[in-house]
Amino acid sequence: MAYNCRVSASEVVLSAEGLAKRYGDREVVSDVSFALHRGEVFGFLGPNGAGKTTTIRMLVGLVKPSRGRVVIDGHDLGTDFEAAMRRVGCIVETPDLYKFLTGRENLEHFARMVGDGAAGRIDTLAALVHMDGRLDGLVRTYSLGMRQRVGIAQALLSDPAVLILDEPTNGLDPAGIREMRELVRRLAGEHGLAVFVSSHLLSEVEKMVDRIAIVHRGRTLAAGTLAELTDGGKRGLEDLFLELTGGETV
Amino acid sequence: MRVMAGLIENEALKILRRKRFRIVLIVLAAILSLVVFAQDRQRRNQRRDNPTLDWRAGVEKRATELERRMNERRVPENFKRWMRYESGRLRYHLSKNLNPNEITGPIFTRAFAGVGSVLLIPLLVAVFGADLVSSEFAEGTITLLLTRPVSRWKVLLSKVVAMGLFTTLTLLAAFFLAWGISGVAFGWSGWGAPILTGFRLGGASPAAGFDLSGVRMVALWQDTFAAWGLAWFSALAVGSITLLLSVVFRSAAAAMGTMMATLVGGTILSRIASDWDGAKWFFVTNLPLPDYYAGLPTPFEGMTLAFSVWVLFGWALAALAAAFVLFTRRDVTA
Repeated sequence: MAYNCRVSASEVVLSAEGLAKRYGDREVVSDVSFALHRGEVFGFLGPNGAGKTTTIRMLVGLVKPSRGRVVIDGHDLGTDFEAAMRRVGCIVETPDLYKFLTGRENLEHFARMVGDGAAGRIDTLAALVHMDGRLDGLVRTYSLGMRQRVGIAQALLSDPAVLILDEPTNGLDPAGIREMRELVRRLAGEHGLAVFVSSHLLSEVEKMVDRIAIVHRGRTLAAGTLAELTDGGKRGLEDLFLELTGGETV
Repeated sequence: MRVMAGLIENEALKILRRKRFRIVLIVLAAILSLVVFAQDRQRRNQRRDNPTLDWRAGVEKRATELERRMNERRVPENFKRWMRYESGRLRYHLSKNLNPNEITGPIFTRAFAGVGSVLLIPLLVAVFGADLVSSEFAEGTITLLLTRPVSRWKVLLSKVVAMGLFTTLTLLAAFFLAWGISGVAFGWSGWGAPILTGFRLGGASPAAGFDLSGVRMVALWQDTFAAWGLAWFSALAVGSITLLLSVVFRSAAAAMGTMMATLVGGTILSRIASDWDGAKWFFVTNLPLPDYYAGLPTPFEGMTLAFSVWVLFGWALAALAAAFVLFTRRDVTA
């Protein structure tokens, strides 16, 4: 394994171990393994169709792995779903909220599912994602950026250790992209979350992440810090990416 | 337990904010107003055309007419059975000097339990039941709903409870709207009036005659309570089957359309295919519990009230079991 081991194993908050998913005789994900550490931003890179989305769906229990397992903060997702999911917040693909409810009603809805006084955190979280004072409009009237931020507030309701974001900058304008990047860095740096970010945009991820894994045709091909993977910056990440994925466009 | 209460609150909030229940109330009020208006008009016309006619003469004429027609060869068997039942019922009322055609708000309300549980109430239950699960898939909110620290079976259970809750509210609304609206035309009082119930055909063949052994006189409110209770049971069975369709289909329109086609198709089946008695195992055939309770002839031989209750119970249980298996095991992709 090409993991960088400067952090101790006790700080691993999410580990994917040999994940595979087969639909009929088509294997979408063959062998995906990686570990997330507390306080880091982890980039999950791969061309379209590499198995990123299926992997993310396996990480959050939407899709059941054919092989392998996911352990979140010590809880096996397959056997201890509720305890494991209490430690994760996620946005899978688009931040789909209930459009006919207000932002606040959406947060209250999901807070009731979390319990544990999550409702009391709504205002703090709204301020964190700069949505304070705008929660009482119907989600139908929100811009994509606003939905994305309410989605993140929703993901943080259970006070998780891991935040999983699937293509979080997709569809955002340049200002929104920068804001998202800063928020992700802040959540990892100040709040100690492990943030998992999937993307097919190299340039986006480079500015945001501490470590990356490159996935191609359902397998993790390389994982490590940016410096390691690019020999201390001698090689471009793009070259590495193209080399590993056989020149397929991203 | 606290989480379950919260989940049910969530489901109720979504049903109310989607405005589905408002549609149910509006449709009920509109249809009841029309039916009451039409019936009131018919009653007025009869009085205008025959102001001096004594009710006994009218009932006598109707019974004789039925008896003449049920001996015609071309009339289908199930119609003949119904006519035999109806003429026997009318004759018994004549012998007891009770007017079977009298109408008051409470009598209308009792009758609506039977008429409504065949198609109208099941359709209304399908209106809010069909999108309980399918809309979460259609709108993409299923990914959030299933990635919270709540097991899938709990999420579905909260939807089952919400379905039961709103089915109950639909029945309560139907009852009070039926009474309230019919009362405007026919008067609201009369719950204590005695009515005759428990008529039964002796058997399928005309020779078996009319069975009066079960006939009894009860207060209207008692009969109404039993009839609406049975209508509620039918509606819950429909709600359970609708919920299964809602799990199977990703579009509420597909779930609702399938349920409507099944209800209409099943009603046609029980009216037309009276020779094939395998149709008695179909849930739609068993929905008019209030009618079977009153003793109206069943479309197929061998059906009784208890039989229908158990068939509906079996369907509901099987549908819920299938819904749970599908919902908890299914991979949520795209």
